[in-house]
Amino acid sequence: MTATEPRVPHDEPRPVPRRTRTTVLSWVTSTDHKRIGLLTLGTAVTLLVVIGALALTMRAQLARPQMTVLTPERYDQFFTIHGSGMIYLVMTPFAIGLGLYLVPLQIGAPNVAAPRTTMLGYWLYAGGAVTMLSGFATSTGAADHGWYAYPPLASTRFTPGPGVDLWIVGVALAGLGMLLMAATVLWTALVKRTRGMTLLRMPVFTWSVVATNLMTIGAFPSLLVAMGILGVGRVNPDLFDENIWNIGYQHVFWFFGHPVVYVMFFPFVGAVAEVLAVFGARRYFGYKITVVSLLAFAALSMSVWGHHMFSTGQAENDYYSLTSILLLVPAGMEYFGFLATLVGGRLRFPAPMLFALAFVPQFLVGGLTGIMIATPPVDYQVTDSYFIVAHWHYTLAAGSLFGFFAGFYYWFPKATGLQLRERLAKAHFWFWLVGTNVTFFPMFFLGLEGMPRRISTYLPQDGFGTANLIATLGSGLLAIGTVIFLVDVVISIRRPRRAPADPWGGFTLEWATSSPPPPHNFDPDHPVPPIRSYAPLLDLREAAR
Amino acid sequence: MDYRAVFDHVFGIQLWIAGGVFVLVTALLVGAIVLNRARRRDKLPFAAAEHNAVEIGFAVVLGGAAAFLVWLSLSNNHALDYTDTQAGSGPQAVAAGAAPVQVAVTAFQWCWSASYPGSSTSVTGSCATPGDRPVIVVPQGRPVEFSLTSRDVVHAFWIPQLAVKRDAYPDHVNSLVMTFPDAGQWLGRCSEYCGTHHTTMDFYVRAVPDDQYQSFLQTGALPGGATA
Ligand SMILES: [Cu+2]
Ligand SMILES: [Cu+2]
Repeated sequence: MTATEPRVPHDEPRPVPRRTRTTVLSWVTSTDHKRIGLLTLGTAVTLLVVIGALALTMRAQLARPQMTVLTPERYDQFFTIHGSGMIYLVMTPFAIGLGLYLVPLQIGAPNVAAPRTTMLGYWLYAGGAVTMLSGFATSTGAADHGWYAYPPLASTRFTPGPGVDLWIVGVALAGLGMLLMAATVLWTALVKRTRGMTLLRMPVFTWSVVATNLMTIGAFPSLLVAMGILGVGRVNPDLFDENIWNIGYQHVFWFFGHPVVYVMFFPFVGAVAEVLAVFGARRYFGYKITVVSLLAFAALSMSVWGHHMFSTGQAENDYYSLTSILLLVPAGMEYFGFLATLVGGRLRFPAPMLFALAFVPQFLVGGLTGIMIATPPVDYQVTDSYFIVAHWHYTLAAGSLFGFFAGFYYWFPKATGLQLRERLAKAHFWFWLVGTNVTFFPMFFLGLEGMPRRISTYLPQDGFGTANLIATLGSGLLAIGTVIFLVDVVISIRRPRRAPADPWGGFTLEWATSSPPPPHNFDPDHPVPPIRSYAPLLDLREAAR
Repeated sequence: MDYRAVFDHVFGIQLWIAGGVFVLVTALLVGAIVLNRARRRDKLPFAAAEHNAVEIGFAVVLGGAAAFLVWLSLSNNHALDYTDTQAGSGPQAVAAGAAPVQVAVTAFQWCWSASYPGSSTSVTGSCATPGDRPVIVVPQGRPVEFSLTSRDVVHAFWIPQLAVKRDAYPDHVNSLVMTFPDAGQWLGRCSEYCGTHHTTMDFYVRAVPDDQYQSFLQTGALPGGATA
């Protein structure tokens, strides 16, 4: 995750084509999907650390009643930028950037389709990130209306100041960038597959990215419309005197807002599936049913948005409850694939496998509580409380991020040609396993006991002190784990240990080429092997046996 | 309309199901980790990569579970609906003619006020000061209809101990009909983020016997005695 070319030679017998220019300029103007992908992932990891630090500050403030680490105004800015930053600038770019890096490799393509458009997508994202965060440099601070920015609060009448304007522009830029990137990667998977790579031989990860990008294309235009509505409200706040624009904004926003939750989840399902199969040393179980489930899940995800609006009194609660609960069928089928692969495997436990294994029960907590909040009589109690905060930190931080780290540790040697230090990686894992649960589990109780989300402090007599203190201690463990992760990356770059082409015994095409892959992914020294299934390298090994 | 009772019922069932599923999945996972370590196995336990009959069978089971949970959700949501309970005859049904008592509640940055149609009594206070929070008085044992609206931004009316919440919008009135089976006083909070002092937008709801409620409507004096 750095802009330096790895300094170690490849382990292949003959020299491979080198990238001729390794300057910063060559990176920022690159049309190589691997470089654009690494730029996207590197930017997202950097922002994960920055935006995670905002959360640590908030946790410090909430550790005890009536603490003032931050002024209430600053606190409001922090939770707004934490939430919106993690969603628009970290998890979504992780998801789509991982697909950008890997899909061309996994389908045997030399590059992404429309690489310049893809590059533009990265620059829109990076520009959006800078714009959104630059609100902190203004005299009134960054946006402070929450990540979904409901009007009329987000209008100039109730929230004046340039922070909100910058936020709206930043979200629109980043959203547009992700839309472009998703479109080119989807197009790549559909038209640039190599000979023999039929649709039903694409790896599970590639399929998860196809489903992700379909949702992105379906949902992100709606985000741009929502930002347009807010933009009009910045000029003319009278717009929101009429209820139709307030509730209408919510419908338009959540039409984007629910699918984006799965955009931030699917590629990590795909990554976990690949990791479980490779470290279970067996073909992924239930490939076809998993593909069908991913596509059904993506289609259904476009019809559930109103479950965010049960308490508005202005949504068809029965309908949205029905569609939302139905999601458990495709989700359950995906879990069937995970578990059947594990039960039938011969398991090894390097760091990527540990993260993938933990993903399964941790995300499940998010999924099971998701069914609860898809039930209006339960949602009336827990929505907008800390129960919701716990629920979706289980899906994103304790779930998707574990899938992300599984993928990070799994593909880092491929992308850089460098090996990470296994002991540091395992230490990172254990700090995060304990840290996520100690941080987020107490929040379920806080919500049930009546703690609303987005409060900057609470009174001693509220009785929220103990659970908040535990949560804050847990966030400290997450911080330590993150530092270990960064140290691991720095050490592996400063004291390089060469990674072979296929360190893990992988099944998919990216492991057939060098680490890192040559400019066009495959070349005469690293030809695309014959493809007869979704695990072509496993086929070769089985045939040789 | 007793939100707490319905919440406890539904949430209780869901907790058991969720706990069972979590234990089952985790047991399978841990079992596989313990039994299938590569060090102990040189052959795969089974070679198949798919099994259509089992997969379809499992999908049917999931469909059945989804159908049950949808039924649980919708039937209980209707148990909370005033018009539905009027038509029905179950334990939640309300006797015909028991028209709900009207309470108009207005949210604003950053407190609440309440008025009672047909009476000059009204309620407000200073939400940030615990001793001066508004106390919304309602009769015990009769359906109460809160008409919720806002003067500025979106807020939400939440009584955590009674498991009920409804948003308050400008230019829109939301109706929330509920009953208070017991006398008592409960803390209410704003749960939709509404700006700087969202944190302290707290209030009380106090349910009192009908005679005390009537005298409250006439005199505006807070009936004492009820405690949380
Ligand atoms: Cu949703
Ligand atoms: Cu509020």
